[in-house]
Amino acid sequence: MKKQAAYAAFVVLLLAAAAYAAFFIAPTDARQGVVYRIIFLHVPCAETGLLSFFVCFVGNVAYVLKRDAKWDWLGVSAAEVGLAFTTACLVTGPIWAKPVWGIWWTWDARLTSTAVLWLLYVAYLLLRSLIEEPERRALLSALFGIFAFIDVPLVFGSIRWWRTQHPQPVIMGGPGSGLDPTMKAVLFFCWAPMLALMVLLMQSRYRLEAMRGDLDVVRREMETA
Amino acid sequence: MGLGLLSNTLVLLGKELRTELRSRELLTTTVIFILLVMVLFSFTFDPSSSDARRFGAGLLWLAFLFAASLMLQPCFLREQTNDTLSALRLAVSDPFAILLAKLAANTLFLLATELLMLPVFAVLYNVPVFPVFGQLLLVFFLGSLGVSVAGTALSAISAQARMRELLLPLLLLPLLTPVLVASTQVTAGLLDVQPFVQWKGVGFLAVFDLVFLTALWLFGEYLLEE
Amino acid sequence: MKNLNSVFAAYLVAWGIFFVYYLTVARRAAALREELEKLKNSLPRNK
Repeated sequence: MKKQAAYAAFVVLLLAAAAYAAFFIAPTDARQGVVYRIIFLHVPCAETGLLSFFVCFVGNVAYVLKRDAKWDWLGVSAAEVGLAFTTACLVTGPIWAKPVWGIWWTWDARLTSTAVLWLLYVAYLLLRSLIEEPERRALLSALFGIFAFIDVPLVFGSIRWWRTQHPQPVIMGGPGSGLDPTMKAVLFFCWAPMLALMVLLMQSRYRLEAMRGDLDVVRREMETA
Repeated sequence: MGLGLLSNTLVLLGKELRTELRSRELLTTTVIFILLVMVLFSFTFDPSSSDARRFGAGLLWLAFLFAASLMLQPCFLREQTNDTLSALRLAVSDPFAILLAKLAANTLFLLATELLMLPVFAVLYNVPVFPVFGQLLLVFFLGSLGVSVAGTALSAISAQARMRELLLPLLLLPLLTPVLVASTQVTAGLLDVQPFVQWKGVGFLAVFDLVFLTALWLFGEYLLEE
Repeated sequence: MKNLNSVFAAYLVAWGIFFVYYLTVARRAAALREELEKLKNSLPRNK
């Protein structure tokens, strides 16, 4: 418990440091003024979300092949954490867009793809909630998770292709496109706390799932006793 | 091995087709559903010829997707209610044959309903489809194949969960986004005043089909586990 | 600095999402730990 508390404190410190860098070290953007600083939150959230979903995918494949419950615990933890990061990304996007474009939402390629990604993993969690038997739930959600993840590049690719047919304002430019070197450095630095946060959240969620597994075992022991 | 898989698949495909052709309930209800969606869509925008060409492709594919997410429900539910899945598994050497047969049948059913509805769409929305019929057939086939591959797999999954009627569309529709995007784009190009083929879109569909067929081949046997 | 509010809002909302998630997980974990202890204690008695 002490270890986790210490790690949590460390993560909070990193987040504070990142915020400081985002507000005070990165220079002001000539065109957008202060509001572009949301990028230092929005982009790391998006990328950490994707990384979490990749971890979920690894857990899913491992479960299907090895049938060890630990991989299922990893899968669901990574999916939930990934969804948290993706939600943060989808919320900070419009908060940036409103002052800059005057509209809350634009169907630009990346936001649209992220919305589909969000829906895919919400479906993953929904599927899990609708299957009671733990091994069935683990297997079927792992299989859906595998299909969902291999779909991700197809989703991003097809939507980007579609959007280049009909050019739209691109939210945030590309990562690093036209960013001055200090901004790039700050952006890179801001990724570290997100990674650390991802690990913290996954760890606690994993422990919760592991406890659930233990509870099932104890309950079964009681029934046979 | 290859020949065994093919012959098993063909036998099972025959069974699927015979079952459906006997009652035709799946085809009938799907056709009526698509017709219904087409009529309802006409209330949502002014169906002048230029708008119909712009929105028609999207409406068509949305109708197909919604219809498919309903049509694919009985795919594995049928086996569940009659407990025939274990018998099927014993009858074939490679469980992939079961999946292949079902997805082939679903593709054919989808394609049949789409081709039936195409002239209706052309008439209702004043969009000429005959000049580009061959190309439309290609995109319908590739799109329906994509829908069936994903849909057959997810039908096997949702059949084992609660609230399966609502669950299947929720699982299927986000997954099929690339199919919707690519099919709509290609179809829109074909329905344009100056029709053209978006080969990149066709390529996307082919890639989607290939990727998911491969995934089904790799992981399909786990879908059919008891 | 006219859009500073938006930047603050974005940071608050994002951190809020993570904080709320962490809290809910921690709370469920505490409840489960309690239940686990209770069950473990009742087990030797049953045997």
